[in-house]
Amino acid sequence: MESKTYLLILILIFSFISCVNSNNVEMIYKDQIGDTSFNPNLDDPEFKFCDSTNVLHKRAYISYSGGKRALEKAIIKHYEFKPEYSGFNGYFIVRFAINCNNEPGRIRIQVLDSNFNQTNCSEVLMQHIQTIFKNLKNWNHAIYKGEDYDGYTFHVIKIDHGKIQST
Amino acid sequence: MRTLLILLTSSLFSYAQPNCYIYAENSQERKACELSYKAIQYPQGSKASQKLFDQAIAIAPEFAWAYYEKSVPYFKRGLLREGLDILNKAIKIDPKEYLCYRAYWYWQYKNYNLCIEDLETYYKLPKAYVQFTPGGDKDMRIILGLAYAKTNQYKKGIEIISNCIINYKSKDDIGLTDYHSLGILYVLDKQYSKAIATLKKQLTINEDMADTNYFLGIALKEKLNLVEAKKQFTKALSKYRETNRFININAGFKVYLLDIENEIAALSQIN
Repeated sequence: MESKTYLLILILIFSFISCVNSNNVEMIYKDQIGDTSFNPNLDDPEFKFCDSTNVLHKRAYISYSGGKRALEKAIIKHYEFKPEYSGFNGYFIVRFAINCNNEPGRIRIQVLDSNFNQTNCSEVLMQHIQTIFKNLKNWNHAIYKGEDYDGYTFHVIKIDHGKIQST
Repeated sequence: MRTLLILLTSSLFSYAQPNCYIYAENSQERKACELSYKAIQYPQGSKASQKLFDQAIAIAPEFAWAYYEKSVPYFKRGLLREGLDILNKAIKIDPKEYLCYRAYWYWQYKNYNLCIEDLETYYKLPKAYVQFTPGGDKDMRIILGLAYAKTNQYKKGIEIISNCIINYKSKDDIGLTDYHSLGILYVLDKQYSKAIATLKKQLTINEDMADTNYFLGIALKEKLNLVEAKKQFTKALSKYRETNRFININAGFKVYLLDIENEIAALSQIN
């Protein structure tokens, strides 16, 4: 009985502390908006930035051989439609980095509905998109003011009834 | 002159920056305004700038410009939802100033329906004024026309772009890519004679886009003028290969090297 009371008091104290904390949350700022740190659950440990202290946030300097259309074609080519995807209408905003060796990594996906509100899709579909981007070759890393850089970029995929649309 | 103006406007100021002196000295708005100016001295998206925008917003939550400026790097870096959440606050305070900016990002992120919705709302606002893409390359009415075309409403798009061009106050206001955009829509709507006339007009204003010759070639081909069509495709190819060729930033309908090469190959029998 006594130990239960202690436990209750402890729980109360902890919840009080966490309440206080949540009211005084220090805003955490990244060095740059869009910096994507390594997440062991999502990221390939083999993917490395050449200089992690200086990753460019200049999308225009990263290109795909053959341009956007070649990229769209490559994505559609690797996309395997499954009937279970057909309930999904919306957009995938795929953010990722291309390191100075032209390798993709740190892929993050925002799933939005047709009104650009946050939504969900099946985990399988999400994984599939992730895998497609992991395996895309033909990237050209950023060269800025004559120097090689790692850099971040993103790509928008529009899905209509589970099928990728050309935009 | 227009090119110079575009270069100046795009490098000197983005969406109308407020004059902090219009706010009373020691007012919350004046403080927020000054903090926001301080923020834009730091690299866009940097920690220092973000902190200053948040301070500005905390002091004057009704100061729209701070939200707008804060949202910019989110949009540029693929954090669309986060960007919208911030920008929407600016739009709520001052829709006339910021609706077009949201429409522009809807366009960039390929949601043409939302883009159309915002721009139609904007142009119905009392005293809506002429607004441009953030880079200054196009009047937002051209973007609206192109967005209609993206949703296969070519006639609506043609009407909007034609009206935009007619309603310019002076001929000098005609954009470097306006007739090009209109010409493409005529091609897509299969009005090839009008497409030819419009794209030729484009060439008198700015002849440096390979894409113009490509679409002109397509219209001529449809009119069975194959010799002229091939000439235009060949011109397109040589312009495409120029290192400093003119890039139509918000083209909407972009031409790739392969498109031009395919057309030339298909007309290989024509001299």
